[in-house]
Amino acid sequence: MQYILLLLLCTLCCTTDSLSQTPSVPQTRPVVVLGGTVHTGTGQVIENGFVAFENGKITAVGDASTARFDNSRADIIDAAGKHVYPGFICANTTLGLSEIGAVRATNDYAEVGTISPHVRALIAYNTDSQILPTVRSNGVLLSQITPVGGLISGSSAVVQLDGWNWEDAMYKADDGLHLNWPSMMPSQGDEAEKSRKRIGQELAALDQLFAEAKAYSSTPTANPSNLKLEAMRGLFNGTKKLYIHADQAKGIIAAIHFSQRYGLAPVIVGGDESWLVADVLKQFDVPVIISQTHHLPSLSHDDIDLPYKLPALLNKAGVRFCISGAGNWNQRNLPFEAGTAAAYGLTKEEALASITLNAAAILGIDSTVGSLEPGKDATLFISTGDALDMRTNDVTQAFILGRNIDLDNKQKALYRKYKVKYGQKP
Amino acid sequence: MKYVLIFLLACAPTLFAQETFPTNGVRDERAELYAITNVTLVASPGTIVSNATLVVRKGVIVAAGSAVSIPAGAVRYDMGGKWVYPAFIDLDSEYGLPETKQKKAAGDEEEEGEGGPQMDTKKKGAHGWNQALNPEVDSYTLFTASSDKAAELRALGFGAVLTHKHDGIARGTSAFVLLGDQRENELLVRDRAAAHYSFDKGTSTQDYPGSLMGSIALLRQTYLDAAWYRNAGHHEYNLTLEAWNARQSLPQIFEVKDKFSALRADKVGDEFGVQYIIRGSGDEYQRVAELKATGARFIIPVNFPIPFDVEDPFDARNISLATLKHWELAPSNPAMLEQAGIVFALTPALLKDKKEFLANIRLAVQRGLSKRTALEALTRQPAAMIGLADKIGTLEPGRIANFIVTSGDVFDAGTVVYENWVDGRRYRTAAGALADLRGVYDMTIDGSERMTLILDGAPESVRTRIVRGKDSLDAALSRTDDAITMRFATDTLPTSNSVRLSGWIEGTTWSGRGQHSDGRWISWTARLSAPFSAKVRKDSVMQPDVLGTLTYPNVEYGWEKLPVQEKVLLKNATVWTCEASGVLKETDVLIDKGKIAAVGTNLNASGATVVDATGKHITPGIIDEHSHIAISQGVNEWTQAITAEVRIGDVLNSDDVNIYRQLAGGVTTSHLLHGSANPVGGQTQLIKLRWGVAPEALKFEGADGFIKFALGENVKQSNWGDKNVVRFPQTRMGVEQVYIDGFTRAQEYERAIKRGESPRRDLELDALVEILNSKRFITCHSYVQSEITMLMRVAEQFEFKVNTFTHILEGYKVADKMKAHGAGASSFSDWWAYKYEVIDAIPYNGAILHDMGIVTAYNSDDPEMARRLNQEAAKAVKYGGVSEEEALKFVTLNPAKLLHIDNRTGSINVGKDADVVVWNEHPLSVYAVAEQTYVDGIRYYDRATDLEKRADIARERERLLRKMAEAKRGGAKTQKPTKHEEHHYHCDDIGNE
Repeated sequence: MQYILLLLLCTLCCTTDSLSQTPSVPQTRPVVVLGGTVHTGTGQVIENGFVAFENGKITAVGDASTARFDNSRADIIDAAGKHVYPGFICANTTLGLSEIGAVRATNDYAEVGTISPHVRALIAYNTDSQILPTVRSNGVLLSQITPVGGLISGSSAVVQLDGWNWEDAMYKADDGLHLNWPSMMPSQGDEAEKSRKRIGQELAALDQLFAEAKAYSSTPTANPSNLKLEAMRGLFNGTKKLYIHADQAKGIIAAIHFSQRYGLAPVIVGGDESWLVADVLKQFDVPVIISQTHHLPSLSHDDIDLPYKLPALLNKAGVRFCISGAGNWNQRNLPFEAGTAAAYGLTKEEALASITLNAAAILGIDSTVGSLEPGKDATLFISTGDALDMRTNDVTQAFILGRNIDLDNKQKALYRKYKVKYGQKP
Repeated sequence: MKYVLIFLLACAPTLFAQETFPTNGVRDERAELYAITNVTLVASPGTIVSNATLVVRKGVIVAAGSAVSIPAGAVRYDMGGKWVYPAFIDLDSEYGLPETKQKKAAGDEEEEGEGGPQMDTKKKGAHGWNQALNPEVDSYTLFTASSDKAAELRALGFGAVLTHKHDGIARGTSAFVLLGDQRENELLVRDRAAAHYSFDKGTSTQDYPGSLMGSIALLRQTYLDAAWYRNAGHHEYNLTLEAWNARQSLPQIFEVKDKFSALRADKVGDEFGVQYIIRGSGDEYQRVAELKATGARFIIPVNFPIPFDVEDPFDARNISLATLKHWELAPSNPAMLEQAGIVFALTPALLKDKKEFLANIRLAVQRGLSKRTALEALTRQPAAMIGLADKIGTLEPGRIANFIVTSGDVFDAGTVVYENWVDGRRYRTAAGALADLRGVYDMTIDGSERMTLILDGAPESVRTRIVRGKDSLDAALSRTDDAITMRFATDTLPTSNSVRLSGWIEGTTWSGRGQHSDGRWISWTARLSAPFSAKVRKDSVMQPDVLGTLTYPNVEYGWEKLPVQEKVLLKNATVWTCEASGVLKETDVLIDKGKIAAVGTNLNASGATVVDATGKHITPGIIDEHSHIAISQGVNEWTQAITAEVRIGDVLNSDDVNIYRQLAGGVTTSHLLHGSANPVGGQTQLIKLRWGVAPEALKFEGADGFIKFALGENVKQSNWGDKNVVRFPQTRMGVEQVYIDGFTRAQEYERAIKRGESPRRDLELDALVEILNSKRFITCHSYVQSEITMLMRVAEQFEFKVNTFTHILEGYKVADKMKAHGAGASSFSDWWAYKYEVIDAIPYNGAILHDMGIVTAYNSDDPEMARRLNQEAAKAVKYGGVSEEEALKFVTLNPAKLLHIDNRTGSINVGKDADVVVWNEHPLSVYAVAEQTYVDGIRYYDRATDLEKRADIARERERLLRKMAEAKRGGAKTQKPTKHEEHHYHCDDIGNE
């Protein structure tokens, strides 16, 4: 007994030092997640369903009551009574780009300068961040890591949350550029005139930049070469998306017209007032990445639950959208941001799609991930209960590209350590 | 008559103030005896005499009335039926004083570029410790008359002002001066007329006070210090306290920025037996009953907002309903104060364009302010407020001869102020000179060139234009008696030629000579073709004026009528009692007289409103142990290491819409904390979310007092930038010593009191003594285990307990020590990684602490999260497996225990306050939505009512925006909307706006 305790303490010590979890090994045997409620992310719910995957790809999804599996050929995971989901995707996050917000040395998301299309989040992505394991243990398995600040903050990238290094974690490199649309309302007080002027200057600077970038991209080799314009080339040849961060209705409309002028199809990020311009968004088929449902209405006369029901408003208007969380560590609450949308007008499966398939579609990765469909990546997890509800979200197993990932994290380790200290039941 | 003569003789010295000055030349003394005849005389409010005469000698009124004999030798002025009123008096002027350079707003980038903290005053000399206290300033010593400024004020009808330096919390004394053009010696009526105060530190560059509550604390402490200084003999010479004491017998005038600060000022005054006269802000109508109860007299501005340009519907969204409503109702403020029986004077202060003054007064009259009260508020009342009613303010014999001559009733639109006599001297106003010339003229230059000359606009701002074909060009016109000069451009080119004319008036015809800019001389004439007829005033689009309803609060989601206590039977719900009885299915809860009257099955509904709660869940109201909502102008008095003297209870803001938003999340009680910028922050305030009541009524009656402490990075200013490395402490080592020092001083202070000595009363030490005696309890912002242990050891050394550790994210590391000490925990559910000291925070913290038997709560520290505290409680189930029943207590009974109010609220039990929530779902679920929230048995939130309120808000906005658009079309000046920014406080905010 004493020995066991000692051993336990020893292993605990190992797991509570500053190491993060070890990336998992590639899938070697077929796996079947059997029984349980399968939420495909496409809106479909299969009670007592199954998901089979091999070599990191889903091979079959269906009704478990009619399917038979040979457990000598595959690992069968009993998910009876549990729920199976596609991995959640958090768009627009600084996950892995910032470890401790207040410690400058750990922040790699905001480069100096206002126009920085050339900087790339991907190469700053820290796979050893202690935060990542705490986020994925709530079901978030992919993220779009995104730089912040200035007028153009740089290129984002999509990564999966289990990797040895950024090249290993890369899912889609440099997926898009992020433009922060200037606030078109002057701020309060005597500064109003000043800020009107600044707004005008910023809009003019953007216009000039895009005109030059478009011209630059029309020649295969530009002379002189220009790193900033080079980085924007992808916008015009379709390899990069344009994410425009805008919350105000006027800004959203202006951003759409701006994109039209340059033949670009933007994605709006933020979109506080997107419900006001839903018809325009729909007309130009511009999707919205809603940043957080868990925030206060921006205006005191707004409906008190406006941010909670914003997804439902866009859904009703036929606007494509997904839901993102805020910051980095709190991305583990992404499922509950979606859950709130379900409490305020979305169906639960629509809410699920808003952090799975719809997010994948908006980020341009839906051909390989975002739903439980044959041929797609086996990036999925099992929860004992409804994963959109914090009351029942309890992720027991998760797979990224078929790899069975370690769901432990620093916080769980500390929990175990101190339970030992106090003699509480493990 | 004899009496009058004696009085005159008595006054003589002030009338010949220049007697001491030598004369260059021969003596030129005049009788200065004038008879103003044939006037409609309003000698005082409510007395109108027609065909009256006013006799003035040497600046003093000798006689006034209808049967007045004109003394021999008087100069007679026949006014032909014009009206005469006492000239107006402004009590809130800065006339004749050097300009006060205002400090740049906090947060200004250039300002930040300057040095670090300033702990001490920069005033040189034997002054007190705080730079914002200037009681020694005597404005009369700084006063120099300004002929131009005086003329501007005379044009508005003013003849005398009370002027003071608007700088600081104590601003010294004001001088009462006349608006004549004489030497200052003759204009100063009273040197130290009143003493002035505000909550605004003005030009002081010293850090303290850095918040409104700090200003209030400083004011309080200064009253105590001044009393100590007066009574205890001079331990020191203190110029500030000397002056403070010397000014106490004067009228005390307090300037505030809003209605709540009026209440705050009055409350401080009450504590020290001072009744302030309050210089209000124009929003008093929103809390008339409370302001009436202060018993204070007010000086009220007429700074009615101008409409916004609302043509862009997106921009217009940024105008809050509160702003729209205030735009509409502000002109009714004086009328509503009159109706409530509040005594007030009126002032042009705060008006950006002072020329709007008379127009705004007239608008107030249109809105129901009686003319009599309006005149009272402009003349006799201001004189009375500063004890000068026997000298000025009415036109009775013996009073200073300050009066105005007008074309008619001064409160009627279009009335012109022709003359303003100050100290018996006649001044004609520019408006009077031009107003009567208004009309349309046919103008001819050199007999052939024809154009139209138009003079129109308000009497105070006559506009002159030359219209030729399509062109309309402004002209500059001035008049001296019957001589006029005029200049206008002859074309619209940028380098336009101009014409200068000089001429004279004969009846309705003007003529004269002039010169072109090319040097050519011309002749010209202008003949009146159509007399002026006042166009429909821009404000008259509001006629007939349909006004919106005042709501409580007068912002979004306010009530026209406050909800009241009801007898309610909530039937057939799942009731989470948070008591030993656990979760009861199919159970009724009866609410009566604000209390939970019964919990059981099939309760008798007699007389109760029955709410069918079948399928619903009922929980106790949620209690947020750590909140910063409903606070005005600063949550941190961050400027010193110990600020135990400041009180959140002083700065409650019951207009904060977050109160309502949080009711919708089931919150019924919030503990409003000072921020975490210093080791000992301010005293906290527990409130119930009674949406619609005034600040004082929010307070949770009879609750124990708490105080905020803080540890770690915030108090050692780790994340405040490189400039903030001055204030002690800068390390955790120093934090301990701050406490030991504070409590040691407090012990010695208390011992001295007990020994019967009378040390200087110190509000900071008073609060620390309360802690030592377990009369006040600590809630301490804390993160890492070392500091948590440290504070417990300090407390043990001084024999008290730390009541609550708030945040306490490493509590799990020292749960055993906390348990032994007897501390409670109020934590975040899952926050971490935002700063270095939370690197080891874990979401299992709550579960470990709870399992150790420590009273554990989850709090928000955030106005959004507070709306979802039920979900935060659910995370105790998710992380650490706390049972659902126990988890719900994390946001109900447990915070009630931590706050010592578990006998009142926090669970559903007969006799407890009826603070309950009806949910549509399992209360710990993300899908749960509060449908009804009761506080004290009053249904302050109801989802159905909320939907009605939304519709009302939309309707009311639409109506007001339409009205604004109409005002613009009617020619009103407008302002552009700007970004609407709600301010939400967090622990580490140090701004005060």
